[in-house]
Amino acid sequence: MAAISPQSTFEGDVFSAPLVHTDSNLLTCMEPDYKPFIPANSLRRMTRVLKIGLTTALQSIRDSGVEAIGPIVTGTGKGSLQDTEKFIREIEQYKETALNPTPFIQSTYNSVNGLIALQVKGTAYNNTFVHRGFSFENALLDSMMLLAEGAPNTLTGAFEEMTAEHFYIKSRIGFWKPAATDSRQLYEQLSPGSIAGEGATFFVLTGKPGPDTKAALTGFKMLYKPTAEKVAAGLSVFKDGVDLILTGRNGDSRYEHFYQQADALFPGIPQLPFKHLSGEHDTAGAFGMWLAAQLLHRQQVPAQWFPMLKDIPAAANRILLYNHFYGEQHTMMVLERV
Amino acid sequence: MEDLKSKLKVQIIEALNLQDTKPEDIDDNAPLFGEGLGLDSIDSLELMVLLERQYHIKVEDPREGRKILQSVQSMADFIQSKQPA
Repeated sequence: MAAISPQSTFEGDVFSAPLVHTDSNLLTCMEPDYKPFIPANSLRRMTRVLKIGLTTALQSIRDSGVEAIGPIVTGTGKGSLQDTEKFIREIEQYKETALNPTPFIQSTYNSVNGLIALQVKGTAYNNTFVHRGFSFENALLDSMMLLAEGAPNTLTGAFEEMTAEHFYIKSRIGFWKPAATDSRQLYEQLSPGSIAGEGATFFVLTGKPGPDTKAALTGFKMLYKPTAEKVAAGLSVFKDGVDLILTGRNGDSRYEHFYQQADALFPGIPQLPFKHLSGEHDTAGAFGMWLAAQLLHRQQVPAQWFPMLKDIPAAANRILLYNHFYGEQHTMMVLERV
Repeated sequence: MEDLKSKLKVQIIEALNLQDTKPEDIDDNAPLFGEGLGLDSIDSLELMVLLERQYHIKVEDPREGRKILQSVQSMADFIQSKQPA
């Protein structure tokens, strides 16, 4: 697995990296050197989300030790915003004539998948899910079904970018906090809105654990626009043996009551939030899954990433990840140590 | 003609984002595709757009495009042939 995120998560001993924080309400990705991953002649044409998506996918394959990658299944809420914005701007600027083909091609959601397949010469099933806060989760569900049907492995991931224009549009409809917020104090500043983020996360999934397996996904549930009672009932299904809860809490007072269901149902079970690390975006749940798998694999919690906690939880064996996207798409996952 | 070729080289580098290439690295007669600059089919479309935007020349016939985009020299010759006398 691999992640490019606002934190230093891509290479090296990621859990020893310092916490990256912001007071601009936007957490931007820490980009690695792409040259070891992407040929220069291809790199020149790519915008940011294509570079982070492709590089994370390739790093994830390297990390997995898998030689031949099977189906490639991804999720993205917005795809390449930079290309989409450029293409739309040029339609207006050049009166629908003389339009550059590159931003048009790359603005399609499945561009990253196509680039991955070209680079690894993958000719198996290839699909991108675009379902707002369920984009990654639908890719994950599809991957699980492919594995159940006998696929040897799947490359499953998500990618998202934020642009200045999109940040502005989303701020107009209340996605972000109106006042500048220190990301380290995100959970204390309960008010409408959250802080924005972006990132790419990829996993190589297999049906059975192998020598390089980091964690096992043993429970999965998606709920669309549920009531608080339905959330409680959903969380209850995964109650047994959970020793750590990862929540997608994001400081948004409008939807905090959903997370309070987890507080009430799991008294005494330690919790870790992750949105101050990733920021909020359509596929932030993929970062949550990466963090859960890292915590299980490394059997430690990077204390410096959680300055808002008095007590840092001990290593966990069974993690419940609960995340939702602005109260609409809710996901519950159980990850276990292997 | 020399001015036009120099200008074209700068415009090609900018349009195709050829980060490590300088205008003096591009030989007037070197092939733009395959060897030489190693451009591909998407680049050829980008160069067609460059001709349309910068020189107001629309290449209607794709077969004609192959000849025009052979080198900086062939592009400059084509542009010059379309300029009013």
